[in-house]
Amino acid sequence: MALAAGLYFGWRADQPTDASTLLALSLPDPSGRSQPLNQWKGKVLVVNFWATWCTPCREEMPEFVKAQRELGSQGLQFVGIAVDEPDKAERFASDIGLNYPVLIGGYGAIELSRTLGNRVVALPFTIIVDRQGHVAHSQLGPLKPAQLSAIVSKLL
Amino acid sequence: MRWCACIAAALAIALPALGQPAPLPVDKAFRFTARALNPETVEARFAIADGYYLYRDRIHFSVDPADAGLVVPVLPEGKVKEDQFFGRVETYRGSITVNLGIKNAAVGQKVVIQAESQGCWDFGICYPPQIQRVAVPLNAATAVPARGGEPTKKGWLE
Repeated sequence: MALAAGLYFGWRADQPTDASTLLALSLPDPSGRSQPLNQWKGKVLVVNFWATWCTPCREEMPEFVKAQRELGSQGLQFVGIAVDEPDKAERFASDIGLNYPVLIGGYGAIELSRTLGNRVVALPFTIIVDRQGHVAHSQLGPLKPAQLSAIVSKLL
Repeated sequence: MRWCACIAAALAIALPALGQPAPLPVDKAFRFTARALNPETVEARFAIADGYYLYRDRIHFSVDPADAGLVVPVLPEGKVKEDQFFGRVETYRGSITVNLGIKNAAVGQKVVIQAESQGCWDFGICYPPQIQRVAVPLNAATAVPARGGEPTKKGWLE
């Protein structure tokens, strides 16, 4: 399992096993309404930190839209935390037909990702939380569809 | 299974052949330095690690105090890339040097040069926009080092 981890495209972050810091968070949506992350407790939650200024972030999101469409009914829930200006994040979300919530994290969110294992504080950074609220996987760098599928299929 | 993640992390760092190398901290990936060539010119430089790049249009310079009168030339041409979202972008690799003008400062005055930049790594990660600051004494031109490579005393050539 250790070798398999080394072959992921992406780097396994230090793993906090408990996602309670993340789930206790509330962040505004692009309209400014505060959204608590614990509203999605019990789902298989894929929290993806992204930004419009991050090309690899933008490039992987259409696959997330697809996965949300296909597996949402089974309890998969993507949440995008945009380290970005609300209007830019909203414009891009609308351009690609994003079917999952975008929350605005600002630069504070990227600091939060540091405490969740993102040591170099870069994007994209993704955390997958199981239904019991534990971190099942965290990764810096793009998350390929096959890899995402392999991880969430065990959790759904 | 914490031990498993620890071993994976150790392998990823110690044996890059098994996977990708670990990403650099941002200030090692993009090192910013600045020095006075003379009291009216500051040479600003980014040393960019191999496999990393900066976006040309996301580099901005400013000076503190602002009334020192910074003059920023047009930045050198970068490598053109087509970006799906932003269209035509230019990037820099290796290093990039910019000679900044200082119009209103006194010889020997210390100014702070601030550089904003944003860059990424070929393996698919991007760092947030960074601000780096260097204090630069606006010394008179320093002499070229003597044959033996001895450093000359800064500022004695008035």
